[in-house]
Amino acid sequence: MPARLPVTRPAGRGRVPSGPFPAGLPRLGAVLAAAGTALAVRRALRRRIRRSPLWPLPALEQPVSGRGRGAGGPAGRRLRVARRTVVAEGVVALRLEGGRLPAWEPGAHLDLVLPSGAVRPYSLCGEPADAVRADGGSYTVAVRLIEDGRGGSREVHEALREGTAVEVRGPRNHFPLVDHPAYLFVAGGIGITPILPMVRRAEAAGVPWRLLYAGRSRASMPFLAEVAELAGGAGGGRLTVVAEDEDGRPDLAGALAGVPAHAAVYCCGPQPLMDAVAALLPDGPEGPALHTERFAPGAGGTDSAAEPFEVELRRSGRTVTVPAGTSVLRALRDQALPDLPYSCEQGFCGTCRQRVLAGDVDHRDELLTGAERADSLLICVSRAKPGTCGLALDL
Amino acid sequence: MSNTASLRPQPVASEHTPLKARNVAFDWADTPLHWIPGDPSSTHTINVLHLLLPAGERWFVHVYKQVLPAIRDPRLRADVIGFIGQEAMHSQAHDDVLPHLRAQGLDPTPYTAQVDWLFEKLLGDRTLPPGRAREWWLKERVAMIAAIEHYTAFLGDWVLNARALDARGADPTMLDLLRWHGAEEVEHRSVAFDLFLHLDGDYRRRVRTWATAFTALVFLWQRGVRFFMANDPTPAAGKAAVRDFLRGGRQGVLPTTGAMLRSIPQYLSRRYHPSQHGSTEQALAYLDRSPAARAAAAASGGA
Repeated sequence: MPARLPVTRPAGRGRVPSGPFPAGLPRLGAVLAAAGTALAVRRALRRRIRRSPLWPLPALEQPVSGRGRGAGGPAGRRLRVARRTVVAEGVVALRLEGGRLPAWEPGAHLDLVLPSGAVRPYSLCGEPADAVRADGGSYTVAVRLIEDGRGGSREVHEALREGTAVEVRGPRNHFPLVDHPAYLFVAGGIGITPILPMVRRAEAAGVPWRLLYAGRSRASMPFLAEVAELAGGAGGGRLTVVAEDEDGRPDLAGALAGVPAHAAVYCCGPQPLMDAVAALLPDGPEGPALHTERFAPGAGGTDSAAEPFEVELRRSGRTVTVPAGTSVLRALRDQALPDLPYSCEQGFCGTCRQRVLAGDVDHRDELLTGAERADSLLICVSRAKPGTCGLALDL
Repeated sequence: MSNTASLRPQPVASEHTPLKARNVAFDWADTPLHWIPGDPSSTHTINVLHLLLPAGERWFVHVYKQVLPAIRDPRLRADVIGFIGQEAMHSQAHDDVLPHLRAQGLDPTPYTAQVDWLFEKLLGDRTLPPGRAREWWLKERVAMIAAIEHYTAFLGDWVLNARALDARGADPTMLDLLRWHGAEEVEHRSVAFDLFLHLDGDYRRRVRTWATAFTALVFLWQRGVRFFMANDPTPAAGKAAVRDFLRGGRQGVLPTTGAMLRSIPQYLSRRYHPSQHGSTEQALAYLDRSPAARAAAAASGGA
């Protein structure tokens, strides 16, 4: 009678209390074992969590977040113009003060974010020790007014008064002073700014050095007194000052002729000066090593937006011509890849970053760090350097 | 079908605004560790944002860059492009807080390395065959982003109205970061959901991904608060506790539990559309007076 089965089952279960030992013991044992295991697991977990509260999620071995863009990137800080001095005709030196400032090495530059939003690099020309003072660090930059420039130097001269706040990024160093047994420094005009801390460093380290300092006129050449003092007077033979209005062109060949092969030549100034120095040095590894830094990019009238160039897309096997005045991004979207991601089109959000496989990039973004610039660019603003044969991208 | 038509999400047209990224910068030098004075617990509860957002919003950008070719609606496409730039800036801005925390003796790397793993690996691109599997994983992630954006918009709306933070003397730079970010989240609150509707809009997927995202957020958040409180270099910080969270809500320096619970049925409603909650007008009004956003506008206008 199937209908009675449900009734008999409770009766069967009802037998358990009547014989608690034979049937209840295994169940109690199971409960005890489970409770014991749970306690053991809980203790083990707690011990593990005490050691690291973040167990048990895996972690990325090379964390991406929070590395900071500080030294190499655009994380800006606001400094105050503490002193503004005219150090030569058309040259002002600004001492910028702030709290804890990052240290820098000779050759480093600072990006100034001017009130208009323009970003301009200026070499640091003060004492590196000033940056890291406990009672408030400072940086010093010197800026020459370039009448027909892009307007950055004019803005520095006119808008940055004492007491003004200015945003700076960096410092970064593309022109580091590498240890050598001897140095020849060649500075042209305002190109003295990165050279001056280098001379100080060489002098402090006791490394033999000579400086050839050329300019249009003595009145227009900043820091003449400082370098003369470092050289121990003109009689020491370590300093040659050549003012074009009095002495004519500097004798580069003569200066370079006496340079020993193990020395290094550090040159900063107008492009023709650096080209001339490079041409006079022997090619190959046997001669002195040459390090140069071009100052005032674009001052020579070469604005890379004015030149068309070609972009080779290696993965899709196409070549696109970027017209003058059009961004790489626009040209690629119009002519080849309409779905290319982008957003701000001003070089700060980083969405359009692409890998560069070949070519010299004129970086105009505000985002990428020095290391990132080695192999990538933001195609919304950056272009090929003028006069180069274009870019190859991983697209 | 007429009864289901009324259950479709109804956007509020007047809440739409064109989107563009703002190039903001913040100076953290003067921000104290406990930037809500005397309230480490609430400070760290909000600080968890700095742990989750750098990696999280980078992931949004990564996913959306892949979706871009699939968008057929030009207006939505423009919205998504603006959204990508704003999210990239949010990610960078919060990332810049992390070195500041480290400088103050609270190294966030053990936690952020895990969040990095979560977004870069667990939720990253998978080696799936092209076609349906890959499409499924992309749709799933787009839906997850829509669910997370529901909460970022909720928090954005909250922080824009959290007068108690001003009253308690919270650090102005941190408040500006939170409100600039919050205002942009409110400004673009419909984009992620619109994109989800455009690609898919499946209700079951909406519920499923909401459950995943909500659980993950609660898990990560409590863990983040516990991590911060356990590693805070100030001895008086104490331990993380639920009652501190409830107290923060009562005092208005944190969202209230009730408001958070009420936001759940909102998202799960079949008629939900983000434009029904929060105010674009209020967000734009804040962006007009935010010190960071004003500086960015001045720089891009004058360049």
